[in-house]
Amino acid sequence: MSNIVVKAENLGKDYFISHTDANGLQKTEHNFKELITSFVKDIFIPTEKISTEDFWAIRNLNFEIKEGDRVGFIGKNGAGKSTLLKILARVTIPSEGKITMKGKVASLLEVGTGFHPELSGRENIFLNGAILGMSYNDIKNSFDEIVAFSEIEKFIDTPVKRYSVGMRVRLAFSIAVHLKSDILILDEILAVGDNNFTKKCLNKMDEITKKEGRTILFVSHILDQVERLCNRAILLQSGQIVMDSDVNTVLNLYKKT
Amino acid sequence: MYSEKELIIEANHSYKRYWQDLWDYKRLFYFFTWRDIKVKYKQTALGVLWSVIQPLLIMIVFILVFAKVAKLSSIGGAPYSVMVLCGFLPWQLFSKAVGIGSESTLANREMISRIYFPRIVIPISNVLVACVDSLIAFIVLLVIMLFLGFLPSYKIIFVPFFYVLTFIFASGVCLFFSALVVKYHDFKAIVPFLLQLGIYITPVGFSSSIVPEYLKFWYSFNPLVGIVDGFRWAIIGRDVPLYLPGLIVAIVITFLTFLIGLVVFRKMEKTFADVI
Repeated sequence: MSNIVVKAENLGKDYFISHTDANGLQKTEHNFKELITSFVKDIFIPTEKISTEDFWAIRNLNFEIKEGDRVGFIGKNGAGKSTLLKILARVTIPSEGKITMKGKVASLLEVGTGFHPELSGRENIFLNGAILGMSYNDIKNSFDEIVAFSEIEKFIDTPVKRYSVGMRVRLAFSIAVHLKSDILILDEILAVGDNNFTKKCLNKMDEITKKEGRTILFVSHILDQVERLCNRAILLQSGQIVMDSDVNTVLNLYKKT
Repeated sequence: MYSEKELIIEANHSYKRYWQDLWDYKRLFYFFTWRDIKVKYKQTALGVLWSVIQPLLIMIVFILVFAKVAKLSSIGGAPYSVMVLCGFLPWQLFSKAVGIGSESTLANREMISRIYFPRIVIPISNVLVACVDSLIAFIVLLVIMLFLGFLPSYKIIFVPFFYVLTFIFASGVCLFFSALVVKYHDFKAIVPFLLQLGIYITPVGFSSSIVPEYLKFWYSFNPLVGIVDGFRWAIIGRDVPLYLPGLIVAIVITFLTFLIGLVVFRKMEKTFADVI
């Protein structure tokens, strides 16, 4: 159980903040001629960005995550947790550094992303499963389990637009825990949903990580959930790692600040 | 578990397994196409019937305007309506694909900013949806031809070739605009305007034979000219000529367009999630 599955070296991500003038237009490239010329230049001469202001959401992050680790990323708003997860989920690319990952990665950065409101729950399970990287057979085999876990059997053929928020959360989450991924990335998704279902999810996640040796990367502001689910935590502050240790040590430090 | 491939993401390096990844996600093309077709007819009383009625209605308007009102002449002894409809097939595919596909990245912004999958699937599956529509219109055309007693020639076996050509050209244009629109929403306004213009410079309602001889070659630089002519040559047959230099120009420009679209898309998709 000491295989390293995620390794981040010197990881950084900067955003270019463009300032707006009185008209609300971006100061860069706001007329059509500039737009075209800058674009053509962009294609043919890969130049550095003309950065009037750079904002580093995260910088110089180094960490290793082992197989079966359940890591909670904690920190205040703006600490860079979500940016980090977005890079790990491959939604965006880093501006600096390198990540090496092993195995299949699935991410759930927000509940119900990829659901189409007009489609039924049944159709959305297949669609969402496919978007999250499941094969058709995997989805078919876990279909009954997903439906049972989400407790929406009765409404499985109702369009998702008529679902309550809670129902959508349950369905989305059921799909996520049944993904056959090695690394599961979860951002704030348990913040919604009622207590009972949250408990059920945490139990299920406990089960899958321990039984199947899956790795979970988890962001939450609800410290109880982090404590319950994770064995390790990484505390971020202003895009830097402040502490990386077992969950209780880090939580104690975080609660003091 | 955890075994097989190692994934390396590095700043300032283009991703090495791009095509392998696309292959792994190939079924997403099917799922997105399926989703968009399915959603189109949800909560409609007539359902899938619309996919037949819609092209039929547009075809009738086309015939009335160009054959009855404008009274232009046809080619190859075909009824004017048949000639117009042959041009309508690739044009409808192109305009639907580009019209909807160009904004497809914006329409799926939620997914783009939260889930990883090869982004190219989004615009391309919109082109596929347009292909399905066009194939239905093709069948409608065949039925109309049967009614008119004007049967297609054996050259109809070449129709798939021209469909592929239309698909590649539409995909190229779609990739280009769907990538740019993410950063510059101006293209939401520009694309519909270009499409409006396109129907006047593409021989949909008339035959390209009315173009003066000395302009013929230059006219072919709109690849849709070669494509529309190809559809007419293949479906009407008889003595409809095929202007080979025009077709070659169309093929070259089609592939060039696709290449440019692909390069632009791959360049811009890296920052989609940051700027969308």
